[in-house]
Amino acid sequence: MAWNWNKTAMFVGGLLTGTAGISILSSEDAKKVYTHCAAAVMRGRDKVMEVCSTLQASGGDIAADAADINEKRKAEKKEREIEQAKAVLAAYEEEQKA
Amino acid sequence: MKFFVLHESTWRIRLRIAQLGMTLRQADLLEYYLQEQDSVDKAKVLDRTGEVVIFRTRKTEDWSGIRSALENFSYQDERLCELVPQETGRDVDRKYAEKLTMMILGRIFRRIFFPAPLRMIWTVAKSIRFLIKGLRALFTRGLDVSVLDAAAITASLWQKDYATAGSVMFLLNIGELLEAWTHKKSVNDLARTMSLKVEKVWRKKEDGEEELVGIGSIEKHDRVVIRTSDIVPLDGKVIEGTVMVNQASMTGESVPVARKAGGYVYAGTVVEEGECTIEVTKTAGSGKYDQIVRMIEESEKLKSNTEARAFHLADKLVPYSLGGTAFTWLLTRNVNRAISFLMVDFSCALKLSMPLAVLSAIKEAGSHDISVKGGKFLEAVAQAETIVFDKTGTLTHETPTVVDVVTFGDMKEEDALRMAACLEEHYPHSMANAVVKAAAERDLVHKEMHSKVEYVVAHGISSRVDGKRALIGSYHFVFEDEKVRMPEGEEDVLRALPDEYTHLYLAIDGVLVAVICIFDPLREEAPEVIRALHQAGFDRVCMMTGDNERTASAVARELKLDEYHAEVLPEEKAAFIKQEHAAGRKVIMVGDGVNDTPSLSEADAGIAIRGGAAIASEVADIIVSAEDLHRLVLLKQLSNALMKRIRSNYRFIMGFNAGLIALSVSGILPPATSALLHNVSTVVTGLRSMTELLSESKEH
Repeated sequence: MAWNWNKTAMFVGGLLTGTAGISILSSEDAKKVYTHCAAAVMRGRDKVMEVCSTLQASGGDIAADAADINEKRKAEKKEREIEQAKAVLAAYEEEQKA
Repeated sequence: MKFFVLHESTWRIRLRIAQLGMTLRQADLLEYYLQEQDSVDKAKVLDRTGEVVIFRTRKTEDWSGIRSALENFSYQDERLCELVPQETGRDVDRKYAEKLTMMILGRIFRRIFFPAPLRMIWTVAKSIRFLIKGLRALFTRGLDVSVLDAAAITASLWQKDYATAGSVMFLLNIGELLEAWTHKKSVNDLARTMSLKVEKVWRKKEDGEEELVGIGSIEKHDRVVIRTSDIVPLDGKVIEGTVMVNQASMTGESVPVARKAGGYVYAGTVVEEGECTIEVTKTAGSGKYDQIVRMIEESEKLKSNTEARAFHLADKLVPYSLGGTAFTWLLTRNVNRAISFLMVDFSCALKLSMPLAVLSAIKEAGSHDISVKGGKFLEAVAQAETIVFDKTGTLTHETPTVVDVVTFGDMKEEDALRMAACLEEHYPHSMANAVVKAAAERDLVHKEMHSKVEYVVAHGISSRVDGKRALIGSYHFVFEDEKVRMPEGEEDVLRALPDEYTHLYLAIDGVLVAVICIFDPLREEAPEVIRALHQAGFDRVCMMTGDNERTASAVARELKLDEYHAEVLPEEKAAFIKQEHAAGRKVIMVGDGVNDTPSLSEADAGIAIRGGAAIASEVADIIVSAEDLHRLVLLKQLSNALMKRIRSNYRFIMGFNAGLIALSVSGILPPATSALLHNVSTVVTGLRSMTELLSESKEH
């Protein structure tokens, strides 16, 4: 008789899964593994959200510093313009006196 | 409280609070406390990391003020604990922010790390949900938006274009999440403003006397007295008396029901008529909040007419989209081009951006201390041309003051004032408050001298004191209705009373004993606000008041009103509004008292001033803070801006998507690109709808 090993293996495999397999997968020990996995996943999610929160805050830091830099530049530019305007005005008044 | 500075810029500082872990409640308390400080412009507490980000106002010199405020802060502060509500929406935001982040990160992760076959399986698995939704909609509602979505996804899958199917589903999911988040947030915000806190109630002691106590000190089985125009403060069983209760806030029915001994009344409902004593069955708690949330969700209050129309249009376009697809295929025999019709659907763009625009407008109004109870009221404000004001408490300050007590016969000033205060303190009207305040200022303490108190709305109060009939009220009430006599020889005094004050007449046993003169000054900003209202688009600014003709005409002249009516009864106010409706105009009513409630309900948008009668706030559609009438102008500008945005959204969505369809049907754009552009433009329109309507420069 030529046994079809493949099909037999599949049949036996299916049988084992259906009986022993299910009971292992739903046993208390397996449940503990699932619980720990779920806890790890939740920790992972919390950690990701924490990192996001920090990233957002750091982004805010950068934005605030950048705004500071721009404000300082604007103030410096204004100073320079005022100095120049004062110089021009002084020169004109000198001219008028002469 | 100790903290470390993590980062410091000129106007922004970020610090970490020195504690292990931070609960949501602690975060709320801290954020509230910081926002209260004058030197703080904006503060945000990040509960996940225990960090605080603070922006200081331009007028501060440095961080020292804020630092010392932080050092003095304590989580145990009683005043704060009472002030900060339990539901601030922080947990809702946290949950949805997490969902959104996971969705986006998950997608990126799957795109990078999942091998092709796994991605294929995932996409197909995910698509099943949309397909089922589409099929179900097809068999119940016919051709609507979910059918279109399902068709688009099926089409991509059939073409083995898993990437496009995946991105369509991703964007649909994001849209759904954003919508659910804003909806939940606005319902919560609304519920928080609607949880009117009744602070003080009349508790009946064992000897039958009543005392005014804070609502927090009421326990189960205590007896509480409720009267006409009160809001029922707590759930309870009626022990004695009969009341007509308006349960609209709970059940939606506007017809009042009668409750006698043995019947139950519920917190938040309004006593329209009558008086009774109840035995409290449930003390103050958070049950009412959930009730309000449920009521908001069930009522269609949040939806406005424009939104409803947009949704309707979106659904109507679906058969055209499907038809267009089939038509294109027939013409070009090119499946790709036909499918682009499916990808670019107007519906999801409309359905996403419209509610977002309305809900964020409501939120923005909230940030200016204006509580709007629904999108359709913003719509009404934008469309209204007529605005009607009540006088006392609305155009005038909410606390007029007693300037003089003129007595007749043997009556002494203090006795008259004491008796008047005793009668008036039961009812929430600004004139009543003035009398009570004046008596309190002169330290005129009184035990409850009167027996049964009746209240005749807008006219006056009548009761019995020491067996004698006591009346206090307007000229009309005291002289014409109740036929009170003037004491002989003192008619001259009566005639000489100055005209610019409002007069309250006190009579005992049919004889006038005193006249209380009350000064009711206009708010300083009133003339300016009326002018601004005219500019903002109101054609007719009117005033209707129960007060006398003299004072009313003086006010109307000063404010340059278009129309005014004096000595008006509440029903007449409502009738005026009905008249305007008959003429085809939309009307807004602004009021704060019990006598404004019929007109507040009749108007297209009823605006109540916070701090007035609680029943007015309950019945009104919009509640404005009592600080400053300019908010009314702000409200009108906000509503106009909202309508403008909705119209421009509409035009953009129709125009852009029509253009995309044209381009992809003619073969210029591949369907994947047009789908991408469509989805991106949808999300962008949605996000833009959430930005502020009034620019920073217009604020304050």
